Amino acid sequence: MDVSRRDFFHIAAALGLGVPALSSAATGATRIDEVGLKDIYSFNARGNVTLLHICDMHAHIKPLYWREPSTLISAPNLTGTPGFLCGESFLKHYGMKGKTLDAYFDTHMNFDALAHKFGKMGGISHMKTLINHIKKERGADNVLLLDSGDTWQGTGLALKTTGEAIVKAQNYLGVDVMVGHWEFTYGKTRVKELIEMLNATFISQNIVGDDSFADDFEELIFKPYTIMERGGAKIGIIGQSFPFTSTANPKEFTQGWSFGLRLDTLQTYVDKLRKEEQVDCVVVLSHDGFSVDQEVARQVKGIDFILSGHTHDPSPQPTVINGTVIVIAGSHGKYIGRLDIDIQNHKVKGYEYKLIPVAANLIPADPEGEKLVKELYSPYDSELSEVLGITKNTLFKRDTFQSTFDQLINDSIIDAMDSDISFTPGYRWGTTVLEGDAITMDHVYDMTAITYPNVYTFELTGMHIRTLLEDIADNVFNANPLYQQGGDMSRLGGVTYEIRVGAVSGKRITNIMIGGKPIIDTKVYKVSSWGGNLQNAGANLKENLTRPVYDVASAYIRRQKNVNISGNSNVRLMDYDCGCPKKGARGC
Amino acid sequence: MERRSFLKGFGVVAACATLLPHVANAADEAKKVAGPNEMNYENAVAAITGGKPLTPSAKVVIVAPEIAENGAVVPVKVTVQSPMSDKDYVKAIHVLASKNGNVRCANVYLTPANGEAYFGTRVKLGGTQDVVAIAEMSDGTFLSAKQNVKVTIGGCG
Repeated sequence: MDVSRRDFFHIAAALGLGVPALSSAATGATRIDEVGLKDIYSFNARGNVTLLHICDMHAHIKPLYWREPSTLISAPNLTGTPGFLCGESFLKHYGMKGKTLDAYFDTHMNFDALAHKFGKMGGISHMKTLINHIKKERGADNVLLLDSGDTWQGTGLALKTTGEAIVKAQNYLGVDVMVGHWEFTYGKTRVKELIEMLNATFISQNIVGDDSFADDFEELIFKPYTIMERGGAKIGIIGQSFPFTSTANPKEFTQGWSFGLRLDTLQTYVDKLRKEEQVDCVVVLSHDGFSVDQEVARQVKGIDFILSGHTHDPSPQPTVINGTVIVIAGSHGKYIGRLDIDIQNHKVKGYEYKLIPVAANLIPADPEGEKLVKELYSPYDSELSEVLGITKNTLFKRDTFQSTFDQLINDSIIDAMDSDISFTPGYRWGTTVLEGDAITMDHVYDMTAITYPNVYTFELTGMHIRTLLEDIADNVFNANPLYQQGGDMSRLGGVTYEIRVGAVSGKRITNIMIGGKPIIDTKVYKVSSWGGNLQNAGANLKENLTRPVYDVASAYIRRQKNVNISGNSNVRLMDYDCGCPKKGARGC
Repeated sequence: MERRSFLKGFGVVAACATLLPHVANAADEAKKVAGPNEMNYENAVAAITGGKPLTPSAKVVIVAPEIAENGAVVPVKVTVQSPMSDKDYVKAIHVLASKNGNVRCANVYLTPANGEAYFGTRVKLGGTQDVVAIAEMSDGTFLSAKQNVKVTIGGCG
């Protein structure tokens, strides 16, 4: 049997104290019949406490296909480091084999072929079976389920129920603690209503009142931390919601709340948990992003574990910085991270980690979950299951510069608004439609379901467009992780350009062509955009045509019926030879 | 908590008027605007120190966001570790925005009676730049600390 051992999957670095354990789990099989439930469940149990970690589910309560990025470019100092690994470089870094179940989950390579072989990913009824299994193995009183946020938003169902269906799914899964980001785009009032319905504790040390005339000025909006007892140990969990929510998403949703990394107060809470609350283990439940959290571990002392989120990285191996162990569990419900911790004499003595793929064809569905999903979807089934068209090539989202599904959305916008340029945001959530498969309304919502969905059309000068692109590039490619916001580059329709990500800020982008002609700084262009802040730059020219992007895209696909997106990139990357470069290299 | 209540009582001090950061100048370079207060960063520092050296010091703690939520009102807090005794105290705290049209944001003069060398304000930033705090000590030395604040239109996800 061609099964690779993935001992690297199971790190027991043990903070310099424990003995590294090697386990024999094997989800490295190349054929579905070579890998079974026992491989998925296999784990060298350790210690007295288990933390189960999920992040960035983006409301996907049903199994889906989700292809990881084929291009993941960063500033040169970060290239090839955890958080900026994809494809072949990812496999090499983690010592994995291609064409295995793990490679299918973790990389873009041979995606369609492996999708036919291994099937869909995630889904709450499959996650629940896995959670139940672990709770049974470890004892339910020794297990915590922690959610790093971006859970309430990302599907048509989430949008139509303004998050409520997903809170029900979280309650069903048994989430104990969560933090947020896209959650906040339902607005402050709705966030508080949903938290009331949620059986979990919502924590955030980095959101404070911003209105100097309000009673909560400079006061915390949520509990900064919570302490939970599991396996006879006191676990202190500090919440870190997305620090740049008010910059990345419209301010109107969180008016009066101030976000930020707030590392000074984070340090204060770490110290308080240790000295005053006498906890045995300090955990930061975070939506900072994987790269940012590595920097947090460098700057804040005394954190045992950071359970990270936001950047959607599947990291089969923890990253350890200054004794702080950082894990992140992918996105879209594809994985559950299992972290066993050995706590003795009020100290962490060791740990064991596995990023468990939720392979829906291998982990049986929990019938109760199937029933819940059916109930939640039934009012919207007829709309969401409508087949809009068929795609010739794979439609995917993740890539640093462009993607086929985003290209389709940009095409639909330029067609509807008769604009020169279309901007689609570089969000990292969405879906994947396999080649030859039907595109449903549900898929379109998977790519666009936000609470501020309107497409705006306005005029910008060439100079203005150039400045905007540089500004966006500086957020994505900043050499300092603390100045990154964790998204990908905005996707442009109607434009081609060259980029040197390692160039200084403001000088990265060259040779911009609009409609095949060089950009003219003084010329006025008609620009459409959605999902960002660009529309504030000019008056809306198409007031009468303004409508949600999911309506624009679905109407276009219905008309096209057969969708054929080439996937040729409109961006020429000048300082790398491939999309997944290795550390310190131009190539892969 | 005392500091927080102090700040609340104090309210928000408006300072440092300069151009509004809007989309056009969200990039690094702030546009220069001529005016009576125009002084580049080096000259503004020299005007404060009288040409004496400026020493970066851990005694000066400046707290400002890494990425501004709103470039028009960026919260900045400065604390200087000092016994604030008659012999050893902080005479003044200066806040500067290194690339604004007008780089000088605030000058706050203190006496030992202040008890604590602490000041909080909001500054308007015309673009990504360092915000610098200078503490003028009673022994005639000048200590400093800085924090880079990114001003961006944002909008990724």
